[in-house]
Amino acid sequence: MTLTIDEDRLTETFAALANSTRRAILARLTEGAANVNDLAEPFALTLPAISKHIKVLERAGLITRGHRAQYRPCILDAAPLQEISTWAEQYRPVWEARFDQMADYLTQLQRQQRQTGEHDD
Amino acid sequence: MTDENAAQDAVVIERDFDAPADLIWRMWTDPEHFKAWYGPDGATVPVAEMDVRVGGTRLVCMEVHTPNGPAQMWFTGQYREVVPRQRLVFTESLSDQNGTPKSPADAGLPEGHPATTEVTIELEDLGDRTKMRLTHAGVPAGSPGAAGWAMALDKLAACVKAQGI
Repeated sequence: MTLTIDEDRLTETFAALANSTRRAILARLTEGAANVNDLAEPFALTLPAISKHIKVLERAGLITRGHRAQYRPCILDAAPLQEISTWAEQYRPVWEARFDQMADYLTQLQRQQRQTGEHDD
Repeated sequence: MTDENAAQDAVVIERDFDAPADLIWRMWTDPEHFKAWYGPDGATVPVAEMDVRVGGTRLVCMEVHTPNGPAQMWFTGQYREVVPRQRLVFTESLSDQNGTPKSPADAGLPEGHPATTEVTIELEDLGDRTKMRLTHAGVPAGSPGAAGWAMALDKLAACVKAQGI
């Protein structure tokens, strides 16, 4: 219920990852920085097409690019992936709060049962 | 399949309660008890319908009070495993009040959020006390791309570690 992560950012990250070429580009970048020509090599794609994929990854914050004009290497930035790996983690505080309430309710229930001498079994 | 489990994100929480397993079991399966504790942060649970048997359905409504008045969220699901006082497994999806599931996008959840999640409750009888273990996991959609997706994420997870984030 309490979404602490940036949902727009997460949506963008998933959209960027929902493409096999872009995932392959990221996989290549886990081995180190590379420029557009290097990245285009394994694919039967034109440089503009690869550049387009790189721009999507850049917007999603998954890669950053160096600023040297001719050679702008792409560098993987894994920070947004950290958020993905925690989608289930956002439920942890919700469950923890529920467990607290269950414990309180149990205490109350058992006290009542003792007072009235009732036994369910 | 360990690969699948690794790719499937889950939250696991364990806690001991000062109550016998039978009572903890009823916390989950008796609507009156369930309504009393389930709503976190001031949320109430006006509806809890539970047909607690394998294949039986559940429908739960949570109501929260917002500045614009009460807001309701409905959840539906099916019981997958029912072993009294030991193990309860059910699925959960956002739905409308008739129990018709909504897509995560319609419900305003991020694209990567699974449409269906699965909750597993395991109880260990410790006499007067009970150890309760809850696992809340995403149910893989089973799309053909799922394997490639998992591989990519595994590789990238390794990279996250390497970068020390």
